[in-house]
Amino acid sequence: MTSATAESTPSAVPPAIPKARRAPSLWRAAVLIFDLSLARMLWSRGTIFMALLVGLPVVLAVLVRGVQAIGGPDMQVDGKVITGPTIFGFMVWWLYLRFIVPVLALYYGTALVADEVEDKTITYLFTRPIARGAVLLGKFLAYFVCTAMVVTPSLMIVYFLMGLSGATLAGTFPSLLKDLGLVILGLLAYGGLFAWVGAQFKRPLLIGLVFVFGFEQLALIIPGYIRNLTVSYYLQSLVPHAVMGEGVLSLLQSLVQQKASLPVAVGMLVFIGAAFVFLAMRVIARREYVLEQ
Amino acid sequence: MSAPIVTTEHLSKWYGQVSGLNDVTVAVPPGITGLLGPNGAGKSTFLKLITGQLKPSKGTVTVLGQPIWDNPGAYFKIGFCPEQDSFYERMTGLAWVTALVRLNGYDEAEAAAAAEKAIAAVDLLDAKDKKIGAYSKGMRQRIKMAQALVHDPGLLILDEPLTGMDPLMRRRTIKLIKDWARQGKSIIVSSHILHEVESMTSNILLINNGRILAEGNVHQIRDLIDTHPHTVFVRAEQPRAFARHCLAYDDVLSLRFESGAVVVQTGKPDAFYARMTSLAATDEVGLIHEVTSPDDNLQAVFQYLVK
Repeated sequence: MTSATAESTPSAVPPAIPKARRAPSLWRAAVLIFDLSLARMLWSRGTIFMALLVGLPVVLAVLVRGVQAIGGPDMQVDGKVITGPTIFGFMVWWLYLRFIVPVLALYYGTALVADEVEDKTITYLFTRPIARGAVLLGKFLAYFVCTAMVVTPSLMIVYFLMGLSGATLAGTFPSLLKDLGLVILGLLAYGGLFAWVGAQFKRPLLIGLVFVFGFEQLALIIPGYIRNLTVSYYLQSLVPHAVMGEGVLSLLQSLVQQKASLPVAVGMLVFIGAAFVFLAMRVIARREYVLEQ
Repeated sequence: MSAPIVTTEHLSKWYGQVSGLNDVTVAVPPGITGLLGPNGAGKSTFLKLITGQLKPSKGTVTVLGQPIWDNPGAYFKIGFCPEQDSFYERMTGLAWVTALVRLNGYDEAEAAAAAEKAIAAVDLLDAKDKKIGAYSKGMRQRIKMAQALVHDPGLLILDEPLTGMDPLMRRRTIKLIKDWARQGKSIIVSSHILHEVESMTSNILLINNGRILAEGNVHQIRDLIDTHPHTVFVRAEQPRAFARHCLAYDDVLSLRFESGAVVVQTGKPDAFYARMTSLAATDEVGLIHEVTSPDDNLQAVFQYLVK
């Protein structure tokens, strides 16, 4: 009540000549939403989850290097020593592209608008003169930048710990760039897909998990065109160390191994990301959100 | 007669099998209009429909002469202050209002100036650089109002704007709303407290069970409400001192203590609120943090009306 004790009248908004305004374009509005969302996303409840996820390969790499540094035994498969770069390649595919990237995309992609709805802050964005699709696009951009900013440093640290051993930076740098590009393409394609899943369906997490760890795993070992319906097929086509795992699954994969060409794989990953973001924007524009009272 | 600011025709909204609003045909005139009804009456549904957040299941809504659903351009002229206490908690009040008004096509400098002006209008300049998460309930209500008026809209739609404010801030906010109306803005304000609405306008829409029961002059029902005991919940720094004062008032029918608060039943709510505001201005009972009125007062009147 301290400031309220004086009975002075609060200053009312003085009458002003209203200036004719134009609504921001879709892209401009998306950039403004991006500005509003990025910091919130970086410091959200998912931050610890994200840190744990991208920290996992770093910890593994440190452990492997630690064992090597104290003169521990080399890792061997079938009598052949597994070198640092080989382990790095293995980690890029199995840890980053098959686990971290899809899981991050699933976690953040499905929550792009759901978080605002759950927090009941969506009202402030949906009662402004911007297309609703711009809200999703801006939040997708925030997701993309936020996750790329976290995953790529993790990958680079692992590269310097594992991938560089015995080789020069100049010699392997193009390979690192390729791996970084792959991670970014993965974040784009999976992020777009899960943005749409989050906008369209009621149980997006479940659907996403079934897609990544059920359908995609299965589709990659089934001969035929069904694999073309997965994101991982196009990612795998770009990864030379994709099938270096051991076991029955890898054996089956190697038997039915097919690859899309580089332009097709890159083009399809970009297309999947863009097309599903577009679809998600359409869904958001038409959907009404009933906030719980 | 001026054109209505909001027109609905046979407007209905269902949430699955549940009816939120039922066949509402109404023309809201310019000026201040109070939307009065108990919790769950359909006030928020009505406001969400006229702010384009919900799509009508049936019927039409026109706001300032335009359809509102899927018409973002209409939001240049509309400012909405929602009921929910939800914010970007880590942002400062100024940064939040600035970011929102940029979505109205303001450039950075214009947005910052407009935000500062709106924050000054709700008397929150001192706290503009504090994080919203550190705001009191009353400050949060005011920053919500600032984001609604920052782009100088012709129509302000305020959903329970006085909730959680202390008596003096309530009075100041009511005066502020009346000032905006005098400047030519139209305002639709919802409340479940007749006393609040009555202090802002005599023009009301009475809503209950998703239907508009009555529209027109508030004085026609004010006598009804006075015949029913009115419950007021007061959270105060010194609840016992406050209760001692209340016991001296003839119109106080009963009172009981809750944790840090006093719940008072009064037969004359107008007189009670007026005395409480005066009392809050003194230091006799310490700070009065919160005054709310459960909707059972109004519910009793509605039960009477629909009998």
